[in-house]
Amino acid sequence: MSGSTLRLVQAAVFVAFIAAWETLSHLRVLDPFFFSRPSAIAERVARWVVTGSIYLHIYVTTVETILAFLTGSVLGVVVGFLFARWTWLSRVFEPYIKVANALPRIVLAPIFTLWFGLGILSKVAFGVTLVFFVVFFNTYQGVREVDRSILYNARMLGASDRDLVRHVLLPSALVWILSSLHTSVGLALVGAVVGEYLGSARGLGYLIQQAEALFDTTGVFAGMVVLSGFVLVVDAVVAALERRLLRWKPPGLAEEPT
Amino acid sequence: MAVRLTGCRRSFRTRSGETYVAVDGVDLTVQSGEFVSLVGPTGCGKTTILNLVAGLLAPDAGRVEVFGEPLQGINRRATYLFQQDVLLPWKTAEENVMLGLLFRRVPKETARERARAWLARVGLRGFEDRYPYQLSGGMRKRVALAQSLIVNPEILLMDEPFAALDVQTRQIMENDLLRIWQEERKTVLFVTHDLDEAIALSDRVVLLSAGPAARPVAEFPIDLPRPRDVAEVRLDPRFQEVYGRIWERLRGEVLRTYAHRGI
Repeated sequence: MSGSTLRLVQAAVFVAFIAAWETLSHLRVLDPFFFSRPSAIAERVARWVVTGSIYLHIYVTTVETILAFLTGSVLGVVVGFLFARWTWLSRVFEPYIKVANALPRIVLAPIFTLWFGLGILSKVAFGVTLVFFVVFFNTYQGVREVDRSILYNARMLGASDRDLVRHVLLPSALVWILSSLHTSVGLALVGAVVGEYLGSARGLGYLIQQAEALFDTTGVFAGMVVLSGFVLVVDAVVAALERRLLRWKPPGLAEEPT
Repeated sequence: MAVRLTGCRRSFRTRSGETYVAVDGVDLTVQSGEFVSLVGPTGCGKTTILNLVAGLLAPDAGRVEVFGEPLQGINRRATYLFQQDVLLPWKTAEENVMLGLLFRRVPKETARERARAWLARVGLRGFEDRYPYQLSGGMRKRVALAQSLIVNPEILLMDEPFAALDVQTRQIMENDLLRIWQEERKTVLFVTHDLDEAIALSDRVVLLSAGPAARPVAEFPIDLPRPRDVAEVRLDPRFQEVYGRIWERLRGEVLRTYAHRGI
């Protein structure tokens, strides 16, 4: 299947799905109260955009996502780096890291709301607990897996410990961190939206939760549509960033190392 | 005297927890400006000796001296050309060559200029901005060679640097190495399992016994005229003669390796 045919078929699937939904809803096969209908959802989204009421929510969710991503990444890189350099640290803390990572993070949301309030801080904290582990494990791996000959070579060329970190270990870890960028940005967003959903006064998660509380199915679906668009934009930004930072990689081999 | 090893011994712990003595009783001297090759059967500890001189390994017993001083830690007067690809994949050819200068706190612009000059010397003008994946195996070796030489080491350690290259590329690289060596007169300690290569390049070939507890067992001065062309020198009758003599001893050691491993 060529590229353009593929796009055509993809569009056809979308149109067929929307048409079926709309028709079945009009024929009362699908109860509009529970399933709404595409035309109503589109109208709602359009109204949000025209009145501008949606922008504050998008803005809040964006800020939360970025903060959660940055904080989680910095913490993950620092801790992952320390653990990889001083193996006794990783040996001491291994069981605790395992337990913390195995914990379903959603149970932390209420406690974070208590600690950090209903504002963006509790959502950021929640997102951080998700992002941290992905970045942490990748940094740890990246630093540990540096080829021994590469380290020897740098040493022979006169690298100090600081040079090694700056020119060899961090860039090597960065490869792993970048390869998990899609995952960690996605998790930051999940943290923000779920946090909003569980208790807040703003954001896309809040919007969906509000609509749900009022049995406003159209609002729930409209919120989902906006969220999907948001995710697509974030993903495109991440992909562009990745292309720029990994331009030294042979094309076709830039996928996630596993 | 650039390098002197006296009674060096180095062992390793194997995975099963036993101690494997790689080299023992190694006495070896390399004169300043001399090109010496170490040859021997597989697993005879050639690389171990190189790592002792590099200071990447410390001997369990014996002494390593560099220009008359006992070696402690990394050998700052040597650089090392590894068998593996050790260029940093996230740096361009030029940035890779600059590394050693940056580690010596040479200003970036000066380092860049000198890296360009060295890339030109190893025949890579115009490839400064390529990443390693965009270079062929032979080109990557050239970058690595420039990277080792730019810091102007007194000693160059080489561990089968050309083993992974095809025959033609290899001969060209060997000739280029000889040309640069002729100009720079570094002390070179070269490890190879290829006797042809060892004779064609060296002033002296040192033969190691089969492992475990390998040690130098014979030395062969190579008094072929320089400058040499590695392809032509092989046709010299004196080359054939010394090849025959070394191979006779080497074959014995190789057979002992086989006997030891039960092949």
